Amino acid sequence: MQLKKSKRSVRSALMAASCALIAAPAIRAQSPDESADGDWQADSALLYYKENQGRVQAIEPVVSLAKDFGDEHVLGLKLTYDSLSGGSPNGALPSHSAQTFATPSGSSLTAPTGGTQTYTTPSGREVAQLERVTLYTTQPGSIPLDPNFHDQRVALSASWQQPLGAATRFTAGADLSHEMDFMSAGGNAAIAHDFNNKNTTLSLGANFEADAIRPIGGVPIGGSDYVLLEKGGNETKTVGGGQLGLTQVFSRHWLAQLNYSYDNSRGYQTDPYKILSVIDAGGNAVGYRFEARPTARARQSLYLENKFAIGRDVLDFSLRYLKDDWGIRSQTAELRYRWDLANGAYVEPHVRYYKQNAADFYNLYLNAADPLPQFMSADPRLASFKGTTFGVKLGMPLSDSSELSVRVEQYQQTAQDVPLAFGQLQGLDLNPGLKSLVVQFGFRFRF
Amino acid sequence: MNRRRLALLALVAAVTTLGGCSSIGVKPWQRDLLARPAMAMNAYPLDAAIDDHLYFSKEASSGGRGFGGGGCGCN
Repeated sequence: MQLKKSKRSVRSALMAASCALIAAPAIRAQSPDESADGDWQADSALLYYKENQGRVQAIEPVVSLAKDFGDEHVLGLKLTYDSLSGGSPNGALPSHSAQTFATPSGSSLTAPTGGTQTYTTPSGREVAQLERVTLYTTQPGSIPLDPNFHDQRVALSASWQQPLGAATRFTAGADLSHEMDFMSAGGNAAIAHDFNNKNTTLSLGANFEADAIRPIGGVPIGGSDYVLLEKGGNETKTVGGGQLGLTQVFSRHWLAQLNYSYDNSRGYQTDPYKILSVIDAGGNAVGYRFEARPTARARQSLYLENKFAIGRDVLDFSLRYLKDDWGIRSQTAELRYRWDLANGAYVEPHVRYYKQNAADFYNLYLNAADPLPQFMSADPRLASFKGTTFGVKLGMPLSDSSELSVRVEQYQQTAQDVPLAFGQLQGLDLNPGLKSLVVQFGFRFRF
Repeated sequence: MNRRRLALLALVAAVTTLGGCSSIGVKPWQRDLLARPAMAMNAYPLDAAIDDHLYFSKEASSGGRGFGGGGCGCN
């Protein structure tokens, strides 16, 4: 009797255990972590960016929202606002004497005196009747900066991801961006397929972008004499591209991603606010020309990123090689080490090294004695330089579903292959490079 | 003709590499470390987007990691 009772209790215990096992997924689905998938995930940041010597500074709040509607149907939304101000280099060389330029910027187009102005170029030429133009003067020895530079940018993007079968995901997205003098609309679509027990993922994506360029004061005629202020109407640009990606899990501690990207830009790619100094044999600035860039640009890049789990820490190492048909070749190496502290907090030091050579048509200045080239630019972004970034991020969870972070980074650009200064250019820093500081506060939470 | 051979060679190399991938990787129960959010390929998408935008406006290169969001007139 006793034995029978015992047998029955074992049987009922086994039955209860089996029921518990079968019911486990249902119970797990109601755990706080799982149910949180139905919530909105918000990722927000406030960025402060400042360049040295009174150059550009920016404040940028960003909010990104994502919601999983179940079964990997994910909606993503992002809103970015940029407010930029400060001085932007206009491309002209510094000089031992003061230089006067006309600003193209919108609200400051009205002359301070309200009437017609004249100004004298460094070569002694007097230009009359520059109506509704504000002039600014660069002090001797200083890099010419347009002090009236200011802009606001609002960018909105949306994306949708959903599965297509058991091992395939489809993502589509759209972007809109608006500035005072620029508008951009774009779309992208990508498909990713998992192989080999989800250890290998192959992805293929395509994107398209259409831009409208409406510079304040009109689009200058490329290569034209700056003082004549010859300007035309608005311009457009389109960009089409594709990306092939392979992600591979190598071990419990290591996964890597390799991307090949190609894009092709057609249309207006000149910076309408940038000029070049025209220098004579004595090193004197005898005039200025508006810059002119080719209307086609094709770029290719290879990007390799590795992630290593080292205990609770994560090492992220990436390399990128990029080349385009403007003659740009660049190499980028980036390293991050996420060092886990107690209670989910972390410190992540970051180092980035970047190197590029100059575009074929880049020139620090134009020689007055040479014929005018078809394409020309003195934009420091198209020069040969090295860029280094050192930064650190500190992350701290506030609860199970929220995290606060602070990121501080310093970026420095050092010009390479700067031509030797001669004549009147001697003693001037012809390409002083750039130093900037980035401070970013981040807050991630669920609601 | 040479180009075709080169393309064929690249295709064979790609297929062989992908075939080779089938023997590497982990079992589903060995994904404990890989499944952590910090091990995701784009673990901080907002930081990445901000960095892409900053470097796009200061350097002649951009992209590589993924698609950028919205163009910019960046002066």
